[in-house]
Amino acid sequence: MHRFNRRDFLKSAGAIAAFAAIPKAVSAAVTGARVVVVGGGFGGATVAKYLRMWGGNVQVTLVDPNPNHISCILSNLVVTGALSMSRITLGYDTLRTTHGVSFLQGKAVGIDPAGNRLTVQTSSGNRVLDYDHLVLSPGVDFSPAPGNWNPNLTPHAWQAGAQTTLLKNQLAAMRSNDTFVMTVPKAPYRCPPGPYERACVVADYLRVKGRTGAKVIVLDANSDIQAEPEAFNHAFTVTHAGRIQYVRNATVLSVDSATRSISTTAMNITNAKVLNYIPNQRAGGIAASLGVNPAGFVPVNALSYGTAAFPNIHVIGDSCAVPASDGKAVPKSGHMANAQAKVCADAILRTLSGEALDTNVATGSACYSPVTGRTASWLSANFIYGDIYDVNGAVKGKGMHRVDLGEAPSNGVNGDSYQDMFTWADSIFADSFK
Amino acid sequence: MSPNMLRLRTLMVGIPLALASLAVSAQVTPPGRTLAAQCAQCHGTNGNGPGFDEIAGKSAREIYNELLEMKSRPVEGIMDRQARGYTDEQMRLISEYLSTLPGNGGD
Repeated sequence: MHRFNRRDFLKSAGAIAAFAAIPKAVSAAVTGARVVVVGGGFGGATVAKYLRMWGGNVQVTLVDPNPNHISCILSNLVVTGALSMSRITLGYDTLRTTHGVSFLQGKAVGIDPAGNRLTVQTSSGNRVLDYDHLVLSPGVDFSPAPGNWNPNLTPHAWQAGAQTTLLKNQLAAMRSNDTFVMTVPKAPYRCPPGPYERACVVADYLRVKGRTGAKVIVLDANSDIQAEPEAFNHAFTVTHAGRIQYVRNATVLSVDSATRSISTTAMNITNAKVLNYIPNQRAGGIAASLGVNPAGFVPVNALSYGTAAFPNIHVIGDSCAVPASDGKAVPKSGHMANAQAKVCADAILRTLSGEALDTNVATGSACYSPVTGRTASWLSANFIYGDIYDVNGAVKGKGMHRVDLGEAPSNGVNGDSYQDMFTWADSIFADSFK
Repeated sequence: MSPNMLRLRTLMVGIPLALASLAVSAQVTPPGRTLAAQCAQCHGTNGNGPGFDEIAGKSAREIYNELLEMKSRPVEGIMDRQARGYTDEQMRLISEYLSTLPGNGGD
C-alpha cells in the first residue's frame, strides 16, 4: 500500500516555491492534518473527541487493542458487586458516528519518529499509519514484581476488566476470619485515592455480608496515606475499626502467588485468602520507548504535552511526567487525563494553524471515593501553568503549579457525596466518550 | 472591569487580529474555550450536561459572580475548592466563553 502523505503531495504538486512557503496551516487545510491517538481510555478518547469537535477537517484515528474501554473509575464498586461490568464499559460508537473519529482495533507496536509513522498490529496483520501529530495515552504498565507473581492467581485489578471480575469472585468466596491482603504501590501510581478506597469498600462488603473476624490488611509502600488523609484515616480507625489494618513503609520484597504470600519490609503474610497485589507502575510501553525519567514516566512540555525530542509526539495521562513544583506532583487520574487531553488538543490545533500556544492554561482533577456502600468522600486538585518551585521555594522552571488541593470536610463524607459520585462519573464518561 | 467590558475589549482587540490572520489561517481560537472545557468533566461537554448544574446559556456576570462567591467562601462543597484553582482573569475568560454557549434551559 502506498502511503500518500503531505510531503508526497508537495512533491507531486511540483513543490512550487510559493506553495512551499505557505505556512503549515494552509497545507494542513488542503490535505487535512492527520492525528493518530494511541490508547482509548479517558485521555485518548477525550483528545480524539475534542480534536474533531474543535478541529474542523483534522483526521483523527484512535488506536486501542480493545473494542471498548472498561473504566477504572467506579470499578471498585464492581469488585463489591454494587455495580455491573456493563455500567463501567464505555464504547467508541459515539466517537465514530457523532464525532467522525476513525477507530482501529490493534496494538501500537512501533514508532518511526523520523518518518512520522506508527505501526499497529491488528488481527489482519500490521498496519502503518502516517501522522502529522501522534498522541500517546496508553495508561500504565506494571514494573516487574519481585518473586513469583501471577496476576491470574492474585489479581491487581488496577486495569479494569477480567482482573476486576477475578478479584470480585475471590472476594465473594471469603468467609469469616479470612484475610484480604492488598498493596499500595510506591507513588507515583494511577489514582492516588484508589487503593484506600478499595480497602474501605472491601471492608464494608465483609461487614455487610457478616464475615465476622474477616479483615483487610493494607500494605502501603509509602510512608503515609497518599490522598484524602483525613477521610481515610477516619475510615480506617473509626468507620472500619477492627476490619482494616493499615501498615506503612511496606516495600514489597517478594510475592508468591501460588501460596498467596507476600514479604515486605514491614510485615510478612503467608496464605492470605485473597492477595490483591497492586504493583509499582511506569509509563505504558509504547510511550516509554520515547525515554523516561527515573520514576519511569515520559517528560513532556506542560503547554503541548509534546516530548523534547519530538514535539509532534505527545504523551498525556498516566504515562506522562508533567513538570511540577516539588512535592506537588500532577496526579495520575482519569479526570486529569481528560484535562490534559483538552490542553493537548488545543495545542495541536494551534500548531497546525500557525497560532502561538496558549500560556493561560489550567488543569485539574476532581473525584469521589466511596468509603462505605452508601457514603463517599471527594478530592480536588488544581494546577495553573507558570513558575514551578523546588523544595526550598526557588523557581526551578515553568510547568503546572498546584494552586489548590483539598478533600471533603468531615461532614461532607456522606450519602450526598455518594450520589454525587455517580453524577460526576456519568458526566466524565460522557465528556470523554460521547 | 466587568465581564461585558472584557467582552468589548476582546472584540476590539480581536477584529484586527482576526483580519490579520485571515491571510494565514481562517482559525483563531476563541479566548477561554480551553479553560472552560475544564468544567466539562462535571458539567458536560460545552456546559450543558449530563452532570451537575448547567453552566451554559447563562450570562457571563452570573457565572463569574458564582465562581467568585465559591472561591471566597469557606470550603463546603467540591466547587468551593475547584473555584480556588483559577485566577480572576481565568474566571472572567471562562464566564465569557460559557455565556456564548447555548444551554438547555436548566439550572
